[in-house]
Amino acid sequence: MQTFSIPKSLKENMIYTFCPGCDHGVAIRLIAELLDEFGLKENALTAASVGCSVFLYNFLDVDCVEAPHGRALACATGIKRAQPDKFVFTYQGDGDFASIGLAESTHAAARGEAITTICINNTLYGMTGGQLGPTTVLNQITTTSPHGRNREYHGFPLKMTEHIALCDGTAFAARVSLDSPAAIIKAKKAIKKAFEVQLKGLGFGFVEILSSCPTNWKMNPVESHKHIREELTKVYPLGTFKDLTEGL
Amino acid sequence: MPNIVIDPKKCKSCYLCVEACPRKVIKISNISGKTGSNIVEFDNTENKCTGCALCAISCPDLAITEVNK
Amino acid sequence: MEKVLLKGNYAIAKAAIKAGCSCYFGYPITPQTEIGEYLSEAMPALGRGYVCAESEVAAINMVMGAVATGVKAMTSSSSCAIGLMQETMSYAASDELPVVLISVMRAGPGLGYIYPAQGDYNQAVTGGGNGDYRTIVLSPSTVQDSIDLTYKAFYLAQKYRNPVILLSDGFLGQMMEPAVLHDYPYDEIDNSSWALTGAKDRGARQIRSLEVNQEKQNAHVYKLFEKYALIEKEEVSYEEENTLDADILLVAFGSMTRNIKAAARKLREKGLKVGTFRPVTLWPFPSKRLLELSETIKNILVVEMNMGQMTKDVKLAVNGNAKVYHFGRPTGKWVNVDEIVQATLNLGGVSYANI
Repeated sequence: MQTFSIPKSLKENMIYTFCPGCDHGVAIRLIAELLDEFGLKENALTAASVGCSVFLYNFLDVDCVEAPHGRALACATGIKRAQPDKFVFTYQGDGDFASIGLAESTHAAARGEAITTICINNTLYGMTGGQLGPTTVLNQITTTSPHGRNREYHGFPLKMTEHIALCDGTAFAARVSLDSPAAIIKAKKAIKKAFEVQLKGLGFGFVEILSSCPTNWKMNPVESHKHIREELTKVYPLGTFKDLTEGL
Repeated sequence: MPNIVIDPKKCKSCYLCVEACPRKVIKISNISGKTGSNIVEFDNTENKCTGCALCAISCPDLAITEVNK
Repeated sequence: MEKVLLKGNYAIAKAAIKAGCSCYFGYPITPQTEIGEYLSEAMPALGRGYVCAESEVAAINMVMGAVATGVKAMTSSSSCAIGLMQETMSYAASDELPVVLISVMRAGPGLGYIYPAQGDYNQAVTGGGNGDYRTIVLSPSTVQDSIDLTYKAFYLAQKYRNPVILLSDGFLGQMMEPAVLHDYPYDEIDNSSWALTGAKDRGARQIRSLEVNQEKQNAHVYKLFEKYALIEKEEVSYEEENTLDADILLVAFGSMTRNIKAAARKLREKGLKVGTFRPVTLWPFPSKRLLELSETIKNILVVEMNMGQMTKDVKLAVNGNAKVYHFGRPTGKWVNVDEIVQATLNLGGVSYANI
């Protein structure tokens, strides 16, 4: 019996161009597996973001329009309002979602747009080489916080899932990680719920994925996952912060 | 017979599969891959593989293309 | 069809509905807010999309998302807020998306104020976004034009898969005058070859501007410019009066056209041979026709409510063949007919012997 195969919603014969050990590859595969399981590939439309996450469209066999930096959820709102019967999702990094695009992100959630958003939180701007972002944790060294994020000087990081969960239009909000096979299985369950709330018309579905960036963290992939498990989850606790499907 | 198919062209030597495998049937080979580091290989000489696919689930590069139980 | 008394902004909103605009996304700013107000009632009633966007940035990106799926959609805004939309206009130009943007000019620079002006000619025509691109710019001078050119904006956007700006201003937006709200006169354009409809029985479509390969990026921009050359060949539109015997040409766009026409009549009464010229398309600009006119007309006065933004394009068009003067003021007070008459009489090089 085959226990693993490559999902059909991924492009045939494609090879990921992410750095070794980068969690983007797993996250995109989970989305593809769920598109397969729900039979949504042919009915799905996505608005791509800016950053490493933009390469989603090179790997996923889904119609896509590329939004300017931070505007994926505005673009996706336009798609959904024009085509309410389509399955619409965005795949964004934390810089895109929570910094330059915080207004678009928050208001899509507040309006309760029936859209699913997967946000990759690697605590820095990865594509440009690892600068301080909205989610960089205190004391974290980046190329623009060379002595570590300082609370007096740089201020505090933003907690996206908690923030999105506060919006009345949010139907599901969870934070997951991909640091072990067990975590990956849990993450898939959360993304599945974020798909379901859209399909049931309950509102905005959001999953934040704590993801490794071994290249910019200057750790190997195994150490990076340990860092997520032992350090990042202290700042960004895992769990479901809102779930309107409970009791349905 | 459990079996794992690894595409050596896709392996970037991150070794997350080695970490994930509960039976330690995935090992670091002597063959260098595209990153310059040695890629992984499936070594089931002791028949310990259960086909659980935790290796494939963990692989960020889809280098483990197929797992059979 | 009978004429009805219509306010310029409502005319645009009503025309958008008749043109089949499926979605409107907008954010309030005077002097164009009536467009969004009107559509907030009309669009839901028709089962069409409407979002009170969180910002102009969001609004234009919602338009981009909607038109990518093949429907007609638009937003409307003014001056400083049009500035906020320029990044997406550049994206839409590169992505070849039929975005329709209604720009109702107010005063600037900066926050300026809500009184009318024409200071956004450069913003619309040369674009505020990055990179080599063009947007089609249509300039109404009456409420009737606001209807006709709203239709044309949707049509040209679809026909050329290119962003189109309808450049109105505070006068036209707020004034009422009789107009005929006729039906959308253009054929529908088939966009099934590119619109995002879901990857069914075909590979996925990507509408994108990121291109990591420089050869492909070059090829893409060359392809865009082939399209721009075609638009310049096919879509130039202008209106001219009494140019045959004229030795002075008054040039204006938008609402100021009304006053140069009145001024020209007064000047003709005084015995001066004055013609008028109004570009309807600000891009593509009617450079060729202006160059032809400059063979016989050696004095051109460009009247605009800005510091000479279109004057520069008129100078480029006539290429030294005629003297080109600017008359106007940056904002606020209408450049009235008598002021234009006086400015024409004061032109250097004109003989006043017959006056």
